Amino acid sequence: MEEVYVEEFMSPGCVGCPAVREMLEEFSKELGDKLTVEEVDITVDTTRASQYGVMSVPAIAINGILKFVNVPKKEELKNAILEELERQE
Amino acid sequence: MSPAKKKRIGVFICHCGKNIAGGLNIEALIESSKQIQEVLYVVDNKFSCSEDGQVDIQKAIQEQKLDRIVVAACSPSLHLMTFQRCGEKAGIEPQFVDLIDIRKWTMHGSPQKIAPEKALEKSKKLIELAVKRMRLKRLIPMAEIKTEQSALVIGGGVAGLEAGLDLADKGYKVHIVERLSTIGGKMALLYKVFPTNDCAPCILAPKTAYANIHPNITLLTNSEVKSMGGHIGSFHVKVVQNPRYIDTDKCTGCGECVEKCPVKVKDDVFSAGMGERKAVYIPYDQAIPKKAIIDAQNCLYFRKGVCRLCEKQCPTNAINFGQKPKTVEIKIGAIIVATGFDEYDPTEKSEYGYGRYNNVITQFQLARLLDIDGPTKGQLLRPSDGKEPKRIVMIQCVGSRDMSTNPYCSNICCMYALKHAQIIKEMVLPEAEIYICFIDMRTVGKGFEEYYRRTREIGINFIRGRPSEIIQDTETKNLSLKVEDPEIGRLLKLEADLVVLSCATIPSSGTEQLSKILGLNLGEDGFFKEMHPKLRPVETNVRGIYICGSDQGPKDIPDSIVQAKAAASCADGELRKNKIKLPQFIVNASKLKKGGR
Repeated sequence: MEEVYVEEFMSPGCVGCPAVREMLEEFSKELGDKLTVEEVDITVDTTRASQYGVMSVPAIAINGILKFVNVPKKEELKNAILEELERQE
Repeated sequence: MSPAKKKRIGVFICHCGKNIAGGLNIEALIESSKQIQEVLYVVDNKFSCSEDGQVDIQKAIQEQKLDRIVVAACSPSLHLMTFQRCGEKAGIEPQFVDLIDIRKWTMHGSPQKIAPEKALEKSKKLIELAVKRMRLKRLIPMAEIKTEQSALVIGGGVAGLEAGLDLADKGYKVHIVERLSTIGGKMALLYKVFPTNDCAPCILAPKTAYANIHPNITLLTNSEVKSMGGHIGSFHVKVVQNPRYIDTDKCTGCGECVEKCPVKVKDDVFSAGMGERKAVYIPYDQAIPKKAIIDAQNCLYFRKGVCRLCEKQCPTNAINFGQKPKTVEIKIGAIIVATGFDEYDPTEKSEYGYGRYNNVITQFQLARLLDIDGPTKGQLLRPSDGKEPKRIVMIQCVGSRDMSTNPYCSNICCMYALKHAQIIKEMVLPEAEIYICFIDMRTVGKGFEEYYRRTREIGINFIRGRPSEIIQDTETKNLSLKVEDPEIGRLLKLEADLVVLSCATIPSSGTEQLSKILGLNLGEDGFFKEMHPKLRPVETNVRGIYICGSDQGPKDIPDSIVQAKAAASCADGELRKNKIKLPQFIVNASKLKKGGR
């Protein structure tokens, strides 16, 4: 079971969010079914953001754990996703 | 590593009576949910939130040994806690209970309602996604933290003061931050309040005076919140105290500096542009703290390096031209935001000539003119020539219920127009003819309809219709308006000496900036957005930060007080626990870099 579920917290007008989106789209192509990305607009799904304690966007949770509250470096984000894939094996 | 342990996931699909079942094929949804990986059990309930529904969920959890559940029903902001508590009672960790909203696509009246086939497809996908999220979700490590027994209230108007006093009386240390140099907010400037026609500053004074001497309250006036970090129980806030150029410990509020100051400027804040003040001034007699403040933009010393008359005159040597902004760092457990409203600037409604015609004013300006302690000491004189107006026309809904400006109803304008009409007729200019041009009179509230009736009885004229344009006579500065009254089917022409615009209430300036500092969501109307419009009206998207009063939406004083008390109660509910559990990563957030929102 090699899978990762990424919750990408964003909001309309967020400056850093498109960069995160772009990275995740690239990883999705690379990893195929192993990676599921869900975009969570914190202005709409306030409960989810509140549960995670997300107060600024972009923020990224991987398999339920908030990992980044900024625009991570591409390598950092990729490593975090890969670590999670390996962790479950 | 060994393969991950298989999860035992249950899916519960709620009919919500006919709200969901009436809008999609439940059987098909059950069948598709059964096909999802690691879903062991799928069942539907007529009402999942009912006692029977919850018992069924708990039975299923125990009998099927479920370790994660997804409830497909309504909004998480409404019911997630219900199902988390339900699951916890049956032995499931609350983090492994998820609620997804499929009702928004099926319920009659929902703005997101779609065709049954589409609702089914979307619901299938949403359940699939939620199951996957739950299947892969790891338990968030939690940390227990001690809650600071203190709170910050942003805004020193009537709502902020009420919330602050409630918390202070309960024993919490409260910091009240006010942007202006005095607490009291808009209410202090209203002269009288409906429906009792009480003197506004008089009934406000018990609160301002108490806040000023309360042992648990620290007032930070002339101050603004600049940054915020941390989380519920332990917020860190930086407040900048702007310089008054007055040593408040020495200033006695005697006003001798004000008397000597040679600079007069228009007072846009406390007289709404209807009067003047000096460059060193005390906002009004009941200001708290009653200390002078120097307006550096207009002070001759700051502008040209001359004068300093105030310094020479001050008997206590309180003038301090060298004062700098001071940053105060505060650690508190909860925050209440009560930043109030501003009056809509009607300049953009060019058809009414505000800003071009001196005799067109706003209701807030009228309140200042009527105030016996205001800029004209209660004399109602029209701005162009200082004569008493004989005919006054009020226009309702300026900047409200108007798709080109603000679509919402500003709630209080009907009542304050009635109030001002009563005051003029009964106390100021009994001979004046007063007309109120309205779309609908909205007088919902205790004693409000009676107040409206009384206003009619004392001879105020009501015309159903919004004037299309105001034209000024260039010589006399008199105003003429045309308004079509559908009730009598005639186009009326009105001549007026003074026109008063009942303007919308809008979020106070700085609301957007503060929302960014605190991470709070704003609604489409620009007011702070509550967690749920009906059931959680003072909670926000950030746990531990609450809103009250007119910053959440237009409202009158009693409603602001009710909300302030609710916000204080919510804050107390969290703070009194002393310790709360939070996700470890929230507690460690300072180690993570801040984002770019």
